[in-house]
Amino acid sequence: MQERRVLSIQSHVVRGYVGNKSAVFPLQVLGFEVDSINSVQFSNHTGYAHWKGQVLTAEELNVLYEGIKLNNVHHYDYILTGYSRDTSFLETVVDIIKELKTANPGLVYVCDPVLGDQGAMYVPENLLPIYKTKVVPLADILTPNQFERKRLTVMDLLHDMGPETVVLTSTDLRSKRGGGFLVALGSQKIKKADGTRVSQKIWMDIPKVDAVFVGTGDLFAAMLLAWTHHHPTDLKTACEKTVSVMHHVIQRTIAYTAGPGKKPSPALLELRMVQSKADIENPTIVVQAEVLETPLH
Amino acid sequence: MECRVLSIQSHVVRGYVGNKSASFPLQVLGFEVDSINSVQFSNHTGYSHWKGQVLTADELHVLYEGIKLNNVHHYDYVLTGYTRDTSFLEMVVDIVQELKRANPNLVYVCDPVLGDHGSMYVPQNLYPVYKNKVVPVADIITPNQFEAELLTGKNISTQKDAVEVMDLLHAMGPDTVVITSSDLPPRLGDRFLVSLGSQRHVRPDGSRTTQRVRIEVPKVDAVFVGTGDLFAAMLLAWTHHHPNDLKTACEKTFSVMHHVIQRTISFAHELAGPGRRPSPPQLELRMVQSKADIEDPAIVTEATIIS
Repeated sequence: MQERRVLSIQSHVVRGYVGNKSAVFPLQVLGFEVDSINSVQFSNHTGYAHWKGQVLTAEELNVLYEGIKLNNVHHYDYILTGYSRDTSFLETVVDIIKELKTANPGLVYVCDPVLGDQGAMYVPENLLPIYKTKVVPLADILTPNQFERKRLTVMDLLHDMGPETVVLTSTDLRSKRGGGFLVALGSQKIKKADGTRVSQKIWMDIPKVDAVFVGTGDLFAAMLLAWTHHHPTDLKTACEKTVSVMHHVIQRTIAYTAGPGKKPSPALLELRMVQSKADIENPTIVVQAEVLETPLH
Repeated sequence: MECRVLSIQSHVVRGYVGNKSASFPLQVLGFEVDSINSVQFSNHTGYSHWKGQVLTADELHVLYEGIKLNNVHHYDYVLTGYTRDTSFLEMVVDIVQELKRANPNLVYVCDPVLGDHGSMYVPQNLYPVYKNKVVPVADIITPNQFEAELLTGKNISTQKDAVEVMDLLHAMGPDTVVITSSDLPPRLGDRFLVSLGSQRHVRPDGSRTTQRVRIEVPKVDAVFVGTGDLFAAMLLAWTHHHPNDLKTACEKTFSVMHHVIQRTISFAHELAGPGRRPSPPQLELRMVQSKADIEDPAIVTEATIIS
């Protein structure tokens, strides 16, 4: 099996599945080597009643990277990043990615540009210009939600900024299947055999769920990394597999919390990650993406 | 199976030691693993260079407090390994004691990492903490011969000595003891090494019985890092599935080790090239590649029951 190594720079929680806890296990199950830098270590995610822990500074991040570099093992096929709250940390991440791309020009940077959702930013405002001018231009695969896309720019313009692949993980577009569904969109720049360049766009109707999950975005980005790796010019299949894995993990999690009366607590709503190993390895496809092709000049 | 482990060990960005070595295999076997990273280093300290940060005893306490405030401090197992700091180790003991009050059935699996081949490789002042505080609250321990001798003050020259040392360790607290390696003479020849295990049970009538086993495993001509951490994690898993059958638990644990190590050696030699000794980065355990062996290890070694 070909060796593929991912560097994932995300949060660590002692308990639960967000950040690296959400991304690393499923990637390892799929046979990826994952080097992980933990940007924070918290007891649990911040949706619980209480949370405590420590953050990694930009300087400390740099020190860890230096250790990897000194041993000459700073060679990666993929980088994966997600939720960040600190501008200097994000800037250090950008510097590291630039250096790693110089070491391996084929490196693919998968970026979830976490800014906010449903009309409001939930990270400091001063991260937006850094994402726009420094992070997104380096990204190869981007997974903004609609809010983030609007704050960053429209999809084809996102391609112009850098990423060849963009997936809008959720939008408020109307699904033709009714109010129980939400629409996700994907777009990939590909070169056809006859040399023409097109943008392959896909549209997916995904069943809504009546619960708030944390860590699902991190799992999504990790699985999109894995399935675009296996289907590099077939965004339709990559997205169908990614969205299907999400569906199985979420359904299993909901079933686990089912019970009369009270709304489940954040602790109970943690993703049923280790229990979903078989679905991660080989997801039954539960969603069909429609394809549209538009020529690019 | 809803089984939750709290593992307090090192994290390395690259490679497989500490929590990196223990978490994935336990998760593959369906255990929920909460992990507190006692350090975050770029890689293990056997490489030419290593850099990173350590967690203080206070910071450990803060993380535990977070878990406790949410009332989710309920564990079936605690797992610890390599530590260099006495105040950190003492905080771990406090946490284990509190968790045992919350769940009296909690099983504490402890690798009492002190040294090997005749010398200590942690600070001397950890020894009394292990002897007087840690081992007494442990339920399963995985010392090597040096650590078993150090903790009991008794030398092992014969199998009979080893049995007595394991009985002394039982008397200190743990009902399950596995001496992971020894220099007792193997019956299968000098390409093998001898490991021993002992498990105390209380019968329904209240009387005590002890099951003792001896296993011989092939020696390997390489220095691995992280294998002890993988061993303790897999012994946790297999004693969980075989709580009264140390023979089977050990056969599965030692078999998993064998498969991971063999895969690692082959790959390391491939990377290094003919005639060259593999480097520490090349010798990192082939963990994700060994998923199938972790899930369902083909048994490659038989344990014999000894008295």
